[in-house]
Amino acid sequence: MNIEVAPRAAAEPAPTHARGRLAVPSVPADKPRPAADAAPKVVIKDLHFYYRAFEAVKGINLALHDKRVTAFIGPSGCGKSTVLRCLNRIYELYPEQRATGEVLIDGENILDAGQDLNLLRARVGMVFQKPTPFPMSIYDNIAFGVRLYEKLSPQDLDARVEEALRRAALWDEVKDKLKQNGLSLSGGQQQRLCIARAIAVKPEVLLLDEPASALDPLSTQRIEELIAELKTDYCIVIVTHNMQQAARSSDYTAFMYLGELVEFDETEALFTHPKMRQTEDYITGRFG
Amino acid sequence: MTAIAEPTAVRGRMRRQRLADALFRNTTRAFAIGVMALLFAVLGALLLGAMPAISAFGFSFLWTSAWNPVKSVFGALPAIYGTLVTSAIAMLLAVPVGLGIAMFLTELCPPWLRRPIGTLIELLAAIPSIIYGIWGLFVLAPVLQMTVQPFVVDTLGNIPLVGVLFAGPPLGLGVLTAGFILAVMVLPFVASVTRDVFQTVPAMLRESAYGMGATTAEVVRRIVLPYTRVGVVGGIMLGLGRALGETMAVTFVIGNAHRVSASLLAPGTTISATLANEFTEAVGDLYAPALIELGLILFVITFIVLAAAKLLLLRLESRDAK
Amino acid sequence: MTLYGRRRLTNAVILALSFVATAMGLLVLFLILGTLLVHGVPALGTALFTQITPPPGGRGGLANAIYGSVVMTVVATLAGTPVGVLTGTYLAEFGRGSAIASVVRFINDILLSAPSIVIGLFVYEVMVVPMGHFSAWAGAVSLAIIVVPVVVRTTENMLLLVPAGLREAATALGAPRWKVIVAVIYRAALQGMLTGVMLAVARIAGETAPLLFTALNNQFFSPNMNAPMANLPVVIFQFAMSPYADWQLLAWAGALLITVAILVLNVLARWIASRSIATQ
Repeated sequence: MNIEVAPRAAAEPAPTHARGRLAVPSVPADKPRPAADAAPKVVIKDLHFYYRAFEAVKGINLALHDKRVTAFIGPSGCGKSTVLRCLNRIYELYPEQRATGEVLIDGENILDAGQDLNLLRARVGMVFQKPTPFPMSIYDNIAFGVRLYEKLSPQDLDARVEEALRRAALWDEVKDKLKQNGLSLSGGQQQRLCIARAIAVKPEVLLLDEPASALDPLSTQRIEELIAELKTDYCIVIVTHNMQQAARSSDYTAFMYLGELVEFDETEALFTHPKMRQTEDYITGRFG
Repeated sequence: MTAIAEPTAVRGRMRRQRLADALFRNTTRAFAIGVMALLFAVLGALLLGAMPAISAFGFSFLWTSAWNPVKSVFGALPAIYGTLVTSAIAMLLAVPVGLGIAMFLTELCPPWLRRPIGTLIELLAAIPSIIYGIWGLFVLAPVLQMTVQPFVVDTLGNIPLVGVLFAGPPLGLGVLTAGFILAVMVLPFVASVTRDVFQTVPAMLRESAYGMGATTAEVVRRIVLPYTRVGVVGGIMLGLGRALGETMAVTFVIGNAHRVSASLLAPGTTISATLANEFTEAVGDLYAPALIELGLILFVITFIVLAAAKLLLLRLESRDAK
Repeated sequence: MTLYGRRRLTNAVILALSFVATAMGLLVLFLILGTLLVHGVPALGTALFTQITPPPGGRGGLANAIYGSVVMTVVATLAGTPVGVLTGTYLAEFGRGSAIASVVRFINDILLSAPSIVIGLFVYEVMVVPMGHFSAWAGAVSLAIIVVPVVVRTTENMLLLVPAGLREAATALGAPRWKVIVAVIYRAALQGMLTGVMLAVARIAGETAPLLFTALNNQFFSPNMNAPMANLPVVIFQFAMSPYADWQLLAWAGALLITVAILVLNVLARWIASRSIATQ
């Protein structure tokens, strides 16, 4: 991975193409381009979001593809986490928040009033910024979601827990202490526990809200490797304020600013040939 | 690719989940409303029980002094007077001391001592009323009788106007002693609440006052107290609510005389002490209802004080939230 | 004296007074505990726990009173805790911002500080009178009414302390609301809720006034819940006010027992609470 961090350029009218001394997160040269995909997994149509009277998301349209990673980037407060939280309607916990528009997962509008929220959240998993292990054993943490919807025999449940922990690259570290409390793990381990917990229920879409921002660099790297592996099975959406991370890990990138979707493109294209001036300003570090 | 089973099983499970959610939610709400209803039930039951006395005596009950179970003549004045006076004495003594303790804990006390001393003061609040009662009867009253009260009678008792308050033989038991005991009981409440409220003052505010060269006493008097004014008053009123309703401690030391005396050293009675002493032996058509009416009056008084304290504190919270 | 000198003097005086105030407060605490120990310890012994209350001038113990207090406390706690926990859950989880919740919270705080003798009167009116006799059940009910507001307050506070992230994480897995609360949130707040129950028990352990009109007292050992039952506070009241030295001695012993139990519960509850906050 070759990330160049050059000093900021002096103020000058920037050409449409970022070049030379300007700091641009570079996309790894050996990164395969995403193939032309079939119908998208998730389609967002004219999504608006309101905190009481304040409009935080102002009508965005977007398509997310299965078995791909889509990254949302943008400065603080641009609405990227808000959009993520619309995809599993977790905002419904707070009466003063609401969304309008359509979000179609496999053609079904999940913003519909008749949509069963618990079922939705079983299909769309989420990992949060701060690791949140439940106050129970590691085994019970992983089994929690599974037990909600499936009746598995003890052996099958054991197998499912092991599979989830393996895929989250945590199995070797905890296989001897499955009965220990989840809170006894380190920060990075706790976050991988939360990822294992989320994938144990075999969701279709995986939402990651700045999953590594509370972790040290080593843990962050492991999480990114994890994402690269997981993408073969899930539609992954990741919100990050770390542009290098977006450039490294994602296939598509969406840049948001002040509640609007400024640009959405394949990651390599967005970082090397941004079409919008704002995008270029952001990725070269002029603001945010 | 989801592991979830086929549609019909899922729909059944979803319906059960929704039912369980509704059941849980409604159960908790029912209990909450039950708690609310409890207050009104208490009020209602008391009203019902006191009705014979209310219709017999009317409003004059509140200012009549006579208390004659034999002739079924009852008046609440001595009890109400005693309740109010003992509580007033308690607050007069407890508030300065409580503020002093709070000031000590927040400004003067070395940090490592704060927790232990704070806990000890709070343990004072945990000691039940009856313990204070017997301590008051066997320890405090004799001490007061031997030392403080004769001193008070000889000195303050001779001052022209005020002297009336301190006249009479030093019996040890009486309104003043009851006020003392109540003061000790209310003290930890006032101290704890005031200390908690003092600690909400932003460090920067206190530091800028100190930075200007103000002494500790000045910082407390001119910065901390005005800032925490509402909370402190709320805490005081909560303590008052406690003092008004205290039973056992007062019953042991007040002397149980249905009289309104000018002197604080004389025996008297309070509503709760009257109830504690006489309720189980109340026979006759009007005796028990009269006592219940006393209880109703006490409940109303404490309700008003507590509600006012709560509203004050709510105003404080909403102001802080802005 | 200069102005500055006067200010310093005032400051010194006020600070000295605050120190004196604290010393006085602590002095009273130790005086009370000391008195209890001095008068109560001589009466300690196995007889205290094995023999029942004696007639005036006789020798005996407090066995029936201890039994009665324990039984009524346990029943009251078992009855009042679920009510308190469920109400506290409503206030913290379902009622946020609703008018009903604000009113319930307000009323709960008033009940918390309401005179316990009035609660005794209330239970007398609604239980003892219709039943026609005093009973331990009525005593337990009056104690339960005192338990409820304490548990409501601590439950609500402890549930609110649980981080929002935990609630969101459980919801994001598709757990229904009740399961999020019961399986995750209760578990996270368990220690705190336990201290609330302990504080409630400490509170009712010493309550006398409500028992005066409900359970009354019983000279003998009677496990019958449907009849008056002996209990420590009322026995202490009766014995201490009497002129008999033997009775007074037993009163001190009973007072010592109650105080020790309450202080232990309080210290234990605080210790557990401080530990649970530390692990947040």
